[in-house]
Amino acid sequence: MSDLDSINPPSILEEPGRLHPINQTKDYLLNLLSSLGFKEVHGPEIETEEFNFDMLNIKKSHPARQMHDTFYVEGKKNVLRTHTSPVQIRSMLESKPPIAFTSAGKVYRKDDDATHLPMFHQVEGIYVDENVTFANLKYLIHQILHELFGDNVEIRFRPSYFPFTEPSAEVDILSDSGKWLEILGCGVVNPIVLENCNIDSNHYSGLAFGLGVERIAMLKYGVNDIREFYKSNLDFLAQFK
Amino acid sequence: MKINYQDLLSFLSEKPSKEDLSQKLFQLGHEHEISGNIFDMELTPNRGDCLSLIGLARDLAVFFGKSNSIDLFNDDIEPLEINFENLSPKDCPKISFLEIEIEDSKVEYKPYLKNYFNNIGGNKANLFTDISNYISYELGQPTHCFDKETIKNKLIFENRECNTIFKTLLGSKVSLKDRNCVFSSNNEIISLAGVMGGASTACSLNTKKVLVECAYFNPESIIGKSIKYNLVSDAAHKFERGVDIASQEMVLRRFAKVVQDHAKIKSIRFKSFGEDHNEDLNIPIDVNKINKILGTSLKNDEYLRHLKGLGFHISDKIKVPSYRHDIETNNDLAEEIARVIGYNNIKSTPINLQKIAKNFDAKVAKLESLLVDNGFSEVINFPFTLNKEKESINIDNPLDSNRNNLRISLKDSLIENLLYNERRQKDSIKIFEISDIYTKDKLIKQQKKLGLIISGRQGHNYNHFSKKLDQKYLNKLLNENHAEDIFEINEISRNNLNTKKKDKIFYVETPLEDIPMSFFSKLCTQQKVVNFINYKPISEYPASSRDFSFVIEDLQVVHEVIDMLNNISDEIIKDSFLFDYYKDDKRKIIKLGYRFIFQSHLKTLSDSETNKKVNEILSPILEIEGVSIPGM
Repeated sequence: MSDLDSINPPSILEEPGRLHPINQTKDYLLNLLSSLGFKEVHGPEIETEEFNFDMLNIKKSHPARQMHDTFYVEGKKNVLRTHTSPVQIRSMLESKPPIAFTSAGKVYRKDDDATHLPMFHQVEGIYVDENVTFANLKYLIHQILHELFGDNVEIRFRPSYFPFTEPSAEVDILSDSGKWLEILGCGVVNPIVLENCNIDSNHYSGLAFGLGVERIAMLKYGVNDIREFYKSNLDFLAQFK
Repeated sequence: MKINYQDLLSFLSEKPSKEDLSQKLFQLGHEHEISGNIFDMELTPNRGDCLSLIGLARDLAVFFGKSNSIDLFNDDIEPLEINFENLSPKDCPKISFLEIEIEDSKVEYKPYLKNYFNNIGGNKANLFTDISNYISYELGQPTHCFDKETIKNKLIFENRECNTIFKTLLGSKVSLKDRNCVFSSNNEIISLAGVMGGASTACSLNTKKVLVECAYFNPESIIGKSIKYNLVSDAAHKFERGVDIASQEMVLRRFAKVVQDHAKIKSIRFKSFGEDHNEDLNIPIDVNKINKILGTSLKNDEYLRHLKGLGFHISDKIKVPSYRHDIETNNDLAEEIARVIGYNNIKSTPINLQKIAKNFDAKVAKLESLLVDNGFSEVINFPFTLNKEKESINIDNPLDSNRNNLRISLKDSLIENLLYNERRQKDSIKIFEISDIYTKDKLIKQQKKLGLIISGRQGHNYNHFSKKLDQKYLNKLLNENHAEDIFEINEISRNNLNTKKKDKIFYVETPLEDIPMSFFSKLCTQQKVVNFINYKPISEYPASSRDFSFVIEDLQVVHEVIDMLNNISDEIIKDSFLFDYYKDDKRKIIKLGYRFIFQSHLKTLSDSETNKKVNEILSPILEIEGVSIPGM
């Protein structure tokens, strides 16, 4: 029998906490976009209608501006931003091309059901320079998606509609189960938006894209229910090492 | 919008298979699902012109050619004498009326009309209303049918203040408020323009004389009405997206033709009000601009051929068809060309941006590192709350009355998170949130705040298991080594909380700007590496824990036993840890306290199932000489 004192006490296993998976994913995307040359810019979550809609060519008659889609605050004076695009507008007004900005953060839509939340996260990017084309956009989106989902991922572009880009596209990837999954929206920046930001659209053109952070997190982690992210359940959060 | 494949084919000169059609629809940007012969279309809001058979066919014609298969009523039509006044041409720049009288309204439907109701699935009402619905499906232009005999007085279109109950033709009662575009007669509102007609002038199975109204309403004048009054309206859906202002006579001649297919027409009259279609929009031909937008090298003749295929008229300029409200600029035309070429067929061209380092927020990163290293988990909460303070920002249109303000503090959310996890049998809770908080004074103020909350055991290892998270713990973590206390630590009373737990709750909340730089200078940041782990769904069934007290008489095997215990993993073991380690100097033994937490993903575990698993995992350990569990 050996002496008690010669026995080392067992090591103490500290349980580290976790950063929230949505913030981890957001940081991952921001790192990725920095590595592609995009500079992070910030802006407020409470926005004016001018920056959230008008400057982005979202007309008064657009469904998104209705009370059932957008949260209005303080007697309709302002809105909870419905996307991170106004951050890019603010940043474009303060700089001259060439520019490459990314913005990330919380956005709000008046939605609350099994697949939609009233608050979620977006990461967006915009690049404006001379001779930026749709073909450049395709190149960049491929870079991003190969980084996210591997070099062999199958990518599909579909025409879509956003008031602030023209042409606009939605991009899908082919899942392992053979289903196309919508991943992001993008397009050539609508010249009207450039002009709104005092950028000469005869001289410059741009590309822009936006990703839903929850969507990417769900795909990358295999979380099926978006609501899980916001239950603050420690059993859930503990998994995201 | 549902479309029957066979119906669509009749508008195309080639007859593509369903698969080919589907593929081209995707290429054009028209998402859909297919069930049998029915294509359920989901169109982008800028393509209101595609909300019909003819609309989709116009787009598809670029691939499959179009066939002119629309039969119209081609006889001369007498002018209609109608007592009508348009008081708001701004909302309705053009409107036409067709009055038809038939001999007998009880008719057998022709196969195409029958098929429409069988396949697309609307409810049949009466001949005229049914034809109106069919025409909307075929041509995309909603029409409204008034029973002519019910309108004896002057018919007025106006945009007016309303404060009245309106009974729709489907029988529901709607309380009209504020300004609305309406048709009225004798000061009674008989139709909510562009949304739904009223009951008092609706057609019935006996109607023989109909007044068909066919209008262009400004989208701005219609938008939001169907949602405001909770009316499901295909007409509103179309008007909100813009119909073809130049097609009214054609639509009504088609209407007359379908009537003629079904009944003997006694009289037919037509009258149109308002400006004819405005100046066509023309865009100069410039293929270089298109190539500059897309990064392609398209030839001019190819460019024009694609546009012609889509229905654009080409002279010395490009004339935009009256139904294409979405086309104004070369960027719009570039999208048209890209759709025809196929987005996936446009080759990508590299761009060369300089890589830059992520400019992360050092304060946030340092706080995150400190807290995560010490076992805190980060949460993200929604900002909506019932609690209203003087500085709260109020939401005009909240999801519900319990969520009509923005939170001014993280406290309530974090207390809720704590209680939620306590109810889920968590006995050691350390969580934090860093979020921008918005308040108002005269202006809106934005402040990044840190909130953290703790309660329960300090941890599950044997050093921390019996210690409680308390003020001292937080002081050591946050305030130690600083001349003055930086963080104010508050205890939160459980008195007003819905909980039976007794553990004390401590809470810290502070704006990041109030934390001195000296605090941050002592912290370091770590490179965050994101591992996209493979998430396992958490069980909704209750967990149960079992504690075991091992007596180790052969000190040589202590570490072997602990290693064996730590390495046990099983489908139904959610967690396990050594919570007690005690050297008994007198008896020269070591006692271990070890806890297993059992939980199944499939069911609530019974005692006997848990016991069986316990025996299975413990027996190899108890076979070791000098290891026992007293009483077992």
